[in-house]
Amino acid sequence: MKPTELTDDLIDRAGSAVSGKTEDVSVHRTLLVVASAVVAFLIVTPMYWLVSEALEVELPRAVDLFFSSLDITVNSLVLMLSVTFLSIVLGVPLAMLTTRTDLPYPRFWSVVAALPLVIPSYVGAIAFVSMFGSGGEVDSILGYTIPRIDGLSGAIFIITLYTYPYVFLTTRAALVSADESLFDAARTLNSGPLRSFRRVTLPVIGPGIAAGALLAALYAVSDFGTPAFMQASVFTSMIYWEFENYNTPVGYAALLAIQLIAIVAVVLVIEAGIGRDEDASGGDARGSEIELGRWRWLGAGFIALLGFVTLVVPVAVFVAWIFRSEGDPIPALEFQMEFAFNSVYLAALAAAVALAFALPVAYYSGRTSSYLSRVLERATYLGFAVPGVVIGLALVFLGLNTFPSIYREGILLLVFGYVVRFLPQAVGTVRSSVLQIDDSTVEAARTLNSGPIETFRRVTLPMIAPGMVAGAVLVFLTTMKELPITLMLQPIGMDTLVIKVWQAHSAFAYRYAAIPALALILISGLTMLVLLRQEDAVR
Amino acid sequence: MTGTEESPRRMHRRQILAASAAGLAAAGTGCLHDDGDEDDDVDEARSDAVADAPPLGQPVTSSGVSWNDLGDLEGAVTVYSGRTADQIDLVFDRLEDRYPELTIDRDYNDNDTQVTQITQVEREDTPADVFYSQDPGALGAVADAGLSQPLPEDVVEAVPESYRHPEGEWTGVSGRVRSVVYNSDRLDETEFDSWDDLPTDIQSYATDSRFEGIIATRPNSGTFRGFIQAMMELEGEEATRQWVRDFMDQDPQLFTSGTDHAVAVNRGGDDDPIVGLGNSYYAARIINEDPDAPVRVTFTEGDAGALFSVAGVTPTVNVDSPELVAEFVRHLIAVEGQEYMMEDNGEFPVIEGVDYVGPLPGPDELDSPEFDLSEFDTELADARQLLEDEGMLPV
Repeated sequence: MKPTELTDDLIDRAGSAVSGKTEDVSVHRTLLVVASAVVAFLIVTPMYWLVSEALEVELPRAVDLFFSSLDITVNSLVLMLSVTFLSIVLGVPLAMLTTRTDLPYPRFWSVVAALPLVIPSYVGAIAFVSMFGSGGEVDSILGYTIPRIDGLSGAIFIITLYTYPYVFLTTRAALVSADESLFDAARTLNSGPLRSFRRVTLPVIGPGIAAGALLAALYAVSDFGTPAFMQASVFTSMIYWEFENYNTPVGYAALLAIQLIAIVAVVLVIEAGIGRDEDASGGDARGSEIELGRWRWLGAGFIALLGFVTLVVPVAVFVAWIFRSEGDPIPALEFQMEFAFNSVYLAALAAAVALAFALPVAYYSGRTSSYLSRVLERATYLGFAVPGVVIGLALVFLGLNTFPSIYREGILLLVFGYVVRFLPQAVGTVRSSVLQIDDSTVEAARTLNSGPIETFRRVTLPMIAPGMVAGAVLVFLTTMKELPITLMLQPIGMDTLVIKVWQAHSAFAYRYAAIPALALILISGLTMLVLLRQEDAVR
Repeated sequence: MTGTEESPRRMHRRQILAASAAGLAAAGTGCLHDDGDEDDDVDEARSDAVADAPPLGQPVTSSGVSWNDLGDLEGAVTVYSGRTADQIDLVFDRLEDRYPELTIDRDYNDNDTQVTQITQVEREDTPADVFYSQDPGALGAVADAGLSQPLPEDVVEAVPESYRHPEGEWTGVSGRVRSVVYNSDRLDETEFDSWDDLPTDIQSYATDSRFEGIIATRPNSGTFRGFIQAMMELEGEEATRQWVRDFMDQDPQLFTSGTDHAVAVNRGGDDDPIVGLGNSYYAARIINEDPDAPVRVTFTEGDAGALFSVAGVTPTVNVDSPELVAEFVRHLIAVEGQEYMMEDNGEFPVIEGVDYVGPLPGPDELDSPEFDLSEFDTELADARQLLEDEGMLPV
């Protein structure tokens, strides 16, 4: 029996012993299971269309597709593993640096380190290519050529720069809510810094790192825009290649998408086995900071450099576009406040719905370690692994065949699309914080004759609040920058900031990309600030 | 052995079943017609509704009709577009300004995505009244899926047959041509002395070693496949295959976006291509944004390298107000519609009575090969297969 099961069991028994509430408890548990199952079911419903289209593919063609996709499968795996590894290498030390040390202005640097997440990676790619490399801005201004980044390694580089914040944010959340006196205890017991990191810190922040790394991995493997721009051949390139050939059945693309899901499923199973269920609970005692001395300026300098490369460069490129251009005005691309409003409105709704969906799944799978809870939780990750256009088409099908009246009328289907795609971000972060719940506190509350709902509201909820906020913010930020599903499902004419960036890019009119892109970064940056303030308030 | 013997027989039986099913359906239709079945009549009527819609003003003709002579546009029309907002929004805005009662709902997305969305998923339920595409193959795909409906007779007759579907299921609205795009600041880095030193036959771009390492194209576009298909019809499959092999031996840079391709040629970095094969209007648009841009275009003569093609529209089967859609299309091919396409996009008119005005050589000066787009195999399946065989695709 795992520790959590044991405690649940204890709670149940303690509860029934004190107040005879066994029935209540089992009713609530059943409700939790049902709610999780309903959420998981809703999230996988779009897959029905994929499977039914894929089943239409003749067998020889299917075999052919499978074998011709082998080499790009390798490329996609290399991309995914490299991005994940590099994101951990960047994200974990940065999280330590901004929470556990005497780094000056830690919150400012936290925002800087987290902010790259708000920039769509293909926008970063466009900015990078026009900035660096031969013929780029740096070359023409300074006459110094930084070698061009492209191909698979270029895609790995760019995607890492814009996805490591997943690891940074989840690790940071784990560090902030962990009992820091543990770290101090380890050090007073004469344990070296490395040893205490491995033996004490790592187990505590492990679930956080794992949650972030998984998000980075899935983002990398399902990204199409950046590899395409970098001319790297990966699995999504092949899906698009089949998809955009409108003279062949869309089943070919569907079959490939299912293959991709299968690869991801393996990753999900493997990842589920790596230290995910460490009971990361602890108290909330404050510990002392690691004193960096002069090194703290080096730390600040490193984050500044990273921020310069990932944030200042694209912004500078955008702003330069505004001033440089002399073309005729293009009214279709003029900025309107409405675009910003639409983006925020959609993203806020998506975040709220995702949070509501994530809570039962994350709570159930975080509090028990049953096979069912694991399967339900993992099922919610599938939508994140599939390229947006594929999910988009599946939702078009779903919408037309269930409630045709909502198709392209109103935003219900669109918001559902965002949730299908981005739910795991909320599930992952909420679950990490559920794992950190101190069972003894819950137990105490229950012993004190507090009912399950009361206990949840007064004890559990405050403890998982940081995870909930983090999850909602992540969904908000990624919805803000989502493109393919928005283009396919938005009520016709409801334009968002990213749609305008995309339209400006496809029209060569980059000057019109500047304002929506800057608005995107500004709004997202403020949202990020809310997240970090809230997290730090836990201290 | 048994298996191989059995399968044709099975196939045969299926064919018979299919044939008799079709026969039954035909008989049924006739029968229903006699009975005057409501539903069936509505469907029949709807699929020809746009063609049957009488002009609200004057009919359009090949000599060009002014907007002033056309009927007013009132109501809402939903347009799915594979073309970008900057290319067609201006015309739509002008129409909306002119007719206060008109709303044009515009859905912009990637061209191939639009086709897939309409033909593979939405089908008869598509919210689109009109599909607007830069690719005749895409318009043809919607027509082949049975999801388009014919245009009115005056529209069909106003547009030369080579720029439209033979039965009028879609029509071209503006023309463009395949071209050679080059960076005029960088020719001195090449072995070409000046732009008129660039070859005027497409063959040389694959075989002339002076292009090695400096040439690029975007092979995944519909127009590139159109170019390959045209070459197959003009020169034969083997010659085309050889052209692709030779071109690939030039170590070309292959882009997946026409925008990225043209921007790279224009940017002029050491690693960027100096010459590219692409559509003429990209360069026109870059120069519109930045008059000092070094990108220029030139054309081959009398071969597939200068293929003329059109962007156009097709009404879907699910048109809400047929008169409005018919009159809307009339506006696009009327004089003002054609002029705006030239001004905004650097494109060519498709109506004989409208003269080309713009920075490029006019269609008359160009030596594009004669192709009847309506008879052209718009599926471009052979071209795609050939490109896949030769490893040029997927990029």
